Amino acid sequence: MRFSLYEKVLLAVFLGLFGLFALTAPNFLSETNLKSMMVQMPELGLISLGMMVVILTSGIDLSITYISSLSGIAVAWGLVQGWPVPLAIAAGACTALLCGLFNGFFIARIGVSPIVLTLGSMLLFEGLALRVTKGGSISGFPESYYVIGGSSVGPIPLPMLFFIAAAIVTSVLLNRTVWGRSAYMLGSNPTAALYSGIPVRRVLIYVYLFSALMALIAAVIMTSRYNSGKVDYGSSYLLLSVAAVVLGGTSVRGGSGTVKGTVIGVCIFQILSSALNLYGLSPHIVNVMMGGILIVVLVANYLSEHIKHALHDIGRVLTGKASASS
Amino acid sequence: MKWLNTKEGGIFLILIALSAVLAVRSPVFLTMENMIDMLKTNVVLAMMAIGMTLVIVIGGIDVSVGAMTALVSVLIGKWMVAFGYDLSVVLLMSVAGGAVLGAINGWLISKIRVHAIVVTLGTLSIYSGIAMYVTGGIWINNLPQAFIDFGRQNLFGIPMSGGTLAIPIQVLFLVLVAAATGYMLKHLRIGRMIYAVGGNPLSAERAGIRQDRVQLFVYTYMGFLSGLAAFVHTSIYRQVDPSAFTGFELQVIAAVVLGGANILGGSGSVTGTLLGVALLAVISNGLTLTHVPSFWHKVIIGLFIVTAVSFDIIQRKRRERRLAKIDVLQ
Repeated sequence: MRFSLYEKVLLAVFLGLFGLFALTAPNFLSETNLKSMMVQMPELGLISLGMMVVILTSGIDLSITYISSLSGIAVAWGLVQGWPVPLAIAAGACTALLCGLFNGFFIARIGVSPIVLTLGSMLLFEGLALRVTKGGSISGFPESYYVIGGSSVGPIPLPMLFFIAAAIVTSVLLNRTVWGRSAYMLGSNPTAALYSGIPVRRVLIYVYLFSALMALIAAVIMTSRYNSGKVDYGSSYLLLSVAAVVLGGTSVRGGSGTVKGTVIGVCIFQILSSALNLYGLSPHIVNVMMGGILIVVLVANYLSEHIKHALHDIGRVLTGKASASS
Repeated sequence: MKWLNTKEGGIFLILIALSAVLAVRSPVFLTMENMIDMLKTNVVLAMMAIGMTLVIVIGGIDVSVGAMTALVSVLIGKWMVAFGYDLSVVLLMSVAGGAVLGAINGWLISKIRVHAIVVTLGTLSIYSGIAMYVTGGIWINNLPQAFIDFGRQNLFGIPMSGGTLAIPIQVLFLVLVAAATGYMLKHLRIGRMIYAVGGNPLSAERAGIRQDRVQLFVYTYMGFLSGLAAFVHTSIYRQVDPSAFTGFELQVIAAVVLGGANILGGSGSVTGTLLGVALLAVISNGLTLTHVPSFWHKVIIGLFIVTAVSFDIIQRKRRERRLAKIDVLQ
C-alpha cells in the first residue's frame, strides 16, 4: 500500500495520538475500551465512506444520516412484524436505495445543487421516519438479529469486519472500475467528463445509491447494537463524517481523495472521542475540540502549502531562475 | 403588471393562493391575532434569512448561524443575570458578539480559502459546544424584569373590532434590518460588489473587487444579524434555551432558497427572502391550524423545497433551450 505525504503525516498524527492516549488516558488500552472503540467506529466509518464518494463528485449528502435512520426504522418495523431477518434487512435496503434514487434523480437528472436538494430530502426523510415511529422507538427484535452488532470473530467485533470489507470494496470500486474512475473525473472536471463520453448522470445516480447503501449497513449495525430503531440514531454523524472525510485529505471541490485517508481520518476522530471521554471531559467540550481540530487541520494544510510555495520561490531566486519563468 | 413575471412575483402568487386556501379551510387563519402571532414567531427567522441571503448571493453558505445565535443569547443571558439590564449595553454586546463570531468564519473562509460549508460545520460544533458547556444545557430563566418589560412593548395600539391592533416591538428590528439591507444591496457599492462576486468571481476580481474583503464583510454581517436575532429572540421568549437553535440553520437556508436565491450565487434579494420566510410561516401555521400531525410538517416542507428548486431549474433550462433555438434559426 502506498501512502501520499499527507497520508503519512496523518498516519503519524494518528500513531502519536494513540501513543499519547495510551500513556495518559486511564484504561485507554483496556480490552473493554479497545473493543468499544471497534464497535463504535464502523458506524461513523461507513457513513464517512458514503459521504466521501459523494464529496469526490464535488457534492455533499446532508441527508445521509436520515437515510440511515429511515432505513434502520424500516428494518426495525419489518422485524417487529415478525419478518425473518434477511427479509427485514431487504426492506431496509429497498428504503435506503429509494432514498438514494430520490437524491440521485433530482441531482443528476434535474440538475439541482446537491446541498439544497439533500437539505430538502433530509427534512423529508426525517419527517417520514417520525411518521413511522411517532417520535418514539421501535424495539423487540428476535435474538438472532442481535448477533450482527454483538458478536465477534476472534478479538474483532463483527461490525468492524463489515467496515473493513466495505472499505476494501469502496477502494476497489473507486480505483479499479470504470464507475470509480468516472466519479473522480466527474469531480475534477464535469465538462471534460461529459465531453469524453462519460455517462455523467448514471455515474452520479450510482454515487448517491452507493452512499445510501453505506448508510443502510451503518443502520443495520446501529439498530442491532441499540436493540431498537429511532429517528435520531446516527444524526450526530453528519458533522463528524464530513470532518473525517476532509481530515482524510478529500478535497471538498471534488476530484481527489482516497479511502485510506478517510479511514485514517475516522480512526483519529474515534480515538479522540473515546480518549476525551475517558479523561472525563464534558461531551460539549468534546464537540468544541472536534470542531477545533477540523479547523486547525484546515489552517495547517493552508500554512504548509504556503511554506512549500515560499520555499519553492526562495529556491528559484537562489538558482537565478526567478526572472525567466513567470 | 411587470412584477408578476419576476421570480418574486411567482412566489408572491403562490403565497396568495396558499393563504386563500387556508382562509377557506380555517376561520382562524385571517384573524389579526393569528397574523401578529405568525409575524412574532418568524421575526428571528426573517432577520437571519436576510443575512443568509447575502451569504448565498456570494456563493457561500453558513451553517453556523444557529450556533452563533445560541452562543450570543447565552452570553447576553448570563450578562444580564450577573450585571443587570441596560438596553444600549446589551444590544451593543449582542451585535458585537455576533459580528466577532461571524468575522471568525469570514476570516477562515476568505484567507484559508476552504469551502464555506466545511469551515462553518467546524465553527457550528465549536460555538454550540461552548454555549452548551457554559450553561450545562440548562435554561437561563431569571432575566431582569426591565428586559422582560422591554420585550413586551408594542408599537401602536389601534383599537379595532375584535381587539386592538398591536405590533410587537420586535417587528421594528426586522423592518429596520430589511430596509437597511435592501438599500445596501441595491444602492451601495458594497451591495453591488456582493452581486458581482457572486455572479462571476473572476470578472469581479478583474474589475478590481477584492473577493476576500467582500467575503469577510458578508460573513461578519451574517454574524452581526445573528447577534441581533439573539437579542430579539431572547426578548420574545424571555428566557435562554441553549439548544433552541439546533438545526435552525436549515430553516434559514430553506427560507432563502424558497425565496428564489440561487445556491450557486449571483442572485437573490431581500424581498424574495422575506416572501420565502412568509411562505414557510404560512405553511407551518396552516398545517397547525388544519390539525395536520406535526411529523407531516417536515415532509411537506422538504417536498416544497425539492419541488421549488427543481421547478426553478427546469424553467431555466427551458429558457436556455429556447434561446439556443433562435440562434439556430437565424
